[in-house]
Amino acid sequence: MKKLSKLLLALSFVLSVTTSAFAVTVVSWGGAYTESQRLGYGDPTAKKLGIPVNWVDYTGGLSEIKAQKEAGKITWDIIDVYAKDTIIGCDEGIFVEFDFDKDFAPAPDGTKASDDFFTSMPSKCAVGNILYSWNFAYNHDNEVFAKKQPKTMKDFFNTKKFPGKRSIYKGAMSNIEFAMAAMGTKAGKGGSKIYDKLAKDGGVDKAIAKIKALCDDPRGGCVFWEAGAQPPEFLANGEVIMATGWNGRFFNAQMEGTPITQVWDTQILDYEYFAMVKGGPNDANGKAMKVLREMTSTEGLAGSAKYIAYAPWRKSSIAIMEAGEPWFKDGKTVMVPHMPTAPANTKSYALMNPEFWADNQDEIGEKWEAMKATVK
Amino acid sequence: MSTEQILSSDGIPLEISLKKAERKNKIKAMLLVAPLFLFILITYLMPIGDMLFRSIDDRMITSKLPNTFAALAKWDGKELPDEATYEAFYKDFYPLAIAKESGKLYQRLNYEKSGFSSGLKKTNRKIKKFEKGNYKEQFMATHKIWNNVEYWVALKNTAPKWSYAKYLKGVDLKLDPDRNIVQMPENRKIYKTLWLRTLKVAFFVTIFCFILSYPIAHLLATLPMKYSNLLMICVLLPFWTSLLVRTSSWMVLLQQQGPINDLIVMLGLTADNARPELMYNVVGTFVAMTQILLPFMVLPLYSVMKTISPSLMRAGKSLGGTPFVAFRKIYFPLTVPGIGAGSLLVFILAVGYYITPALVGGASGSLISNTIAYHMKSSLDWAFASALGAMLLTGVLVIYWLYNKLVGIDNIKLG
Repeated sequence: MKKLSKLLLALSFVLSVTTSAFAVTVVSWGGAYTESQRLGYGDPTAKKLGIPVNWVDYTGGLSEIKAQKEAGKITWDIIDVYAKDTIIGCDEGIFVEFDFDKDFAPAPDGTKASDDFFTSMPSKCAVGNILYSWNFAYNHDNEVFAKKQPKTMKDFFNTKKFPGKRSIYKGAMSNIEFAMAAMGTKAGKGGSKIYDKLAKDGGVDKAIAKIKALCDDPRGGCVFWEAGAQPPEFLANGEVIMATGWNGRFFNAQMEGTPITQVWDTQILDYEYFAMVKGGPNDANGKAMKVLREMTSTEGLAGSAKYIAYAPWRKSSIAIMEAGEPWFKDGKTVMVPHMPTAPANTKSYALMNPEFWADNQDEIGEKWEAMKATVK
Repeated sequence: MSTEQILSSDGIPLEISLKKAERKNKIKAMLLVAPLFLFILITYLMPIGDMLFRSIDDRMITSKLPNTFAALAKWDGKELPDEATYEAFYKDFYPLAIAKESGKLYQRLNYEKSGFSSGLKKTNRKIKKFEKGNYKEQFMATHKIWNNVEYWVALKNTAPKWSYAKYLKGVDLKLDPDRNIVQMPENRKIYKTLWLRTLKVAFFVTIFCFILSYPIAHLLATLPMKYSNLLMICVLLPFWTSLLVRTSSWMVLLQQQGPINDLIVMLGLTADNARPELMYNVVGTFVAMTQILLPFMVLPLYSVMKTISPSLMRAGKSLGGTPFVAFRKIYFPLTVPGIGAGSLLVFILAVGYYITPALVGGASGSLISNTIAYHMKSSLDWAFASALGAMLLTGVLVIYWLYNKLVGIDNIKLG
């Protein structure tokens, strides 16, 4: 009996080693987000194709994959990345360039993949998976909001009307766009006006000064957040009265009963992408491509929205969701109105501009850090 | 006074045969150490050397644009370069664009000046359709960076194979077109502030650790075994707890609605709506780092104090000294090696601290190591990250050297 159990143990070990050796490794951000990906399309894909899919967490950026490549030992196949990283990774030859309509499945009604996705991709190495939003939320149980509630981005910066601390992202990204909007710039088509003003001489400086004024204001003040879980947490424990953050995290907190309300005025729509590593362990045998094609299919992308309030990239996925409401995993929450792409939420919005950030992130980053160093 | 050599039994001079035997022993000893030496060489010295090397290595771009740099060598940097320079750049860039090898240039040059990335990308698309001749006009029509002198100056600045520009940037300096060292513009100066803040935090954390540890270590060394063991566990338990756990516990304690603030309000020290900010600023950094680094000060102090005989203090007092004089003249000087070891340990660890300031430091409490992490992970400017790392390493070595000069390194005692 003992021998048998030992044998079984050894066997299961060998099996686990061999399966992980053949598995396609997908790298993503962890937490509720990776969970939604694994349950939404990872497991179904693995089942359908018979190719195991192995999920690994990381904290973003290309440093790890760059190091793997330089060391000549690549272990990742597919990475979930920001737009600017697909651009940089494509330029540096880290990622595979796609032949979009050939590599990715058409919609169920036969629409080409490139037409089924909301917009075109920032680089040839990217395929979109979700749209999420940078917006802001407030704790509606706080007495500050008893009489009036914030409705616009201007209200977020209005410390006279709503005295109290704010939490904002630790980097310049999203903040300078919000500041521009708060200074009265209309978003324009997809936020083009905001980025035009930022690109002008002194635009960035003005926006950064606006943030500094908010942080230095004795009635205001800033707490910088780093991880996506922090903004809802700060709102729940009363550390701040309003916070910018990612809509999916706010949504999940709301579902758990946290008393917060989201404001969608001048939200920044941002995208997440998958990129495939050139020379990854399953690149040559085509398995990584097969898995990626399946995960980004209409049904695949719709699947992840069952678990988190991020919108799938494909128009046809939204159609499936609308037909299948209530779509959320609890079986009673109607999902489409919570999507950042819902018509009620997109009255005024900006699209995160990866070209602008790829060009200017170093210079803006320095100015931003210099500002932060002088905040009281 | 014999000039004859002493011979061993087989007729070889004794000196030589001794040397032979010794050499054998030396080889044996070397072989014993060799695995460890190789291990350190391969896993420690070589990777660090490689990273440090990156901070001055700028050969990639030099090798990709040889004609351009040759043409730019004579250019004075006042007005736009002449047609020949544009042609040289075409000669360099065209083959790169065709072979899809131009990607690395975008990033490298964008570190030098913002805007290169999109400019070169557009050029990369358009250059395949360029006609022969009149390159200056065609480039200028492609993207606005090519009619801006500043971009050419930035390009010229990358010409040398080896560069110390990253080190200059690390102290808020840069090279101007004539390769003179000048100050960075005011709104982009951050590194000096960060260096000073890092030093300040490390210094004060060391002082706080010292003030708190000295009595604890003294108690540990002098209490009877059964109490001192318990106390020792109290010192070691947090030492064994994960750094992240300890930092997050501090975050729970220090937040504005947290227990410490509740206590202050309950005691009536402040009003409920004027709770002090204990976190996301330099205060949080000080508190959390001091608590986390405390054992590194307690343990060396304890090991030194343990060896001081209690009879020395008694002798001092019996010779007429007050307890304070006895402490100052006898006990304290004897603990100096422990203070030195503890302070050096705490200071060096604090200078490179990264996770705690990132979590509780907020804007005014983040340190140089957070910036190194930013350049390693986000901006991917590894050359700059390694330059900052090298500067930090040099700083630590200087402190070590200073300590050696002032106190003497043989005076250090860890146990």
